[in-house]
Amino acid sequence: MDPAARRLTLPARVESVAVFRDFVRAGALAAQVPEGALPTLDLVLEEILMNVARYAYAPETGAAEVAFAPHAAGSLTVEISDWGNVFNPLEVEPPDFSRGLAERPLGGLGVFLVRSLVSSLAYRREEGRNILSFNFPGPDG
Amino acid sequence: MTAAMLDCAGCTFFCKLKRRPYLMTIEPTELDKAVLLKVSGRMDAENAHAFEQACDQWIARGAKHLIADLGALQYVSSMGLRSFLAVAQKLQSSSGSLILCSLNGLPRQVFELTRLIGLFPVFDSAQQALATL
Repeated sequence: MDPAARRLTLPARVESVAVFRDFVRAGALAAQVPEGALPTLDLVLEEILMNVARYAYAPETGAAEVAFAPHAAGSLTVEISDWGNVFNPLEVEPPDFSRGLAERPLGGLGVFLVRSLVSSLAYRREEGRNILSFNFPGPDG
Repeated sequence: MTAAMLDCAGCTFFCKLKRRPYLMTIEPTELDKAVLLKVSGRMDAENAHAFEQACDQWIARGAKHLIADLGALQYVSSMGLRSFLAVAQKLQSSSGSLILCSLNGLPRQVFELTRLIGLFPVFDSAQQALATL
């Protein structure tokens, strides 16, 4: 990540998602990410940060960090970190689309959505941190 | 026919966040064969349960078919999808249905990406949905 990246660290809780979202939105607008793409960026951030809030730590503990830097004209590199349980979302099996309504599990769609909506999604474990990075907008703008 | 505006029913924490401009509203209309729920705004991790609660209340009152008019829904995350699925599964188990109409924009993209769109009856308008009941 660019050393000049902007960073924000907050408790890993559902209430923090809106604050992170506004933080990255401001950076996306400054980087001239099209305004119409911002709800998709919100969605990606919500899915990743909710996973951190629900699964990375014991309830009501731990922190998440979001960093971003301009990547190219009209795009942003975003990095989301936590210090919790090892979790590589790239290893999550995709949903089983062959199942009918009655058999469809209620969960498991968040990571799939993230993978579908960003570019260059990458995971690494570094000094006790899960670090997930991606470029936005994704392949379909 | 009755109509009332629910502002994030049951979501007291969410509604206390006055600084946050993103809200979901659910406007129900009781019809002869179904209850029409016009869902507007953003359905996210903080408020998706309000949609499920609103549907559960209508199911408890005997509603068999719910029509969700999503024409003014701007955003839905996986927590919202979870609520749609949960409600549809409950209704299907009692020979009812959750019908979606006027899906567009990001919500339509999300339903398409996750292939959920094939699991729900989907119509362009509430009128078209009603005509099938």
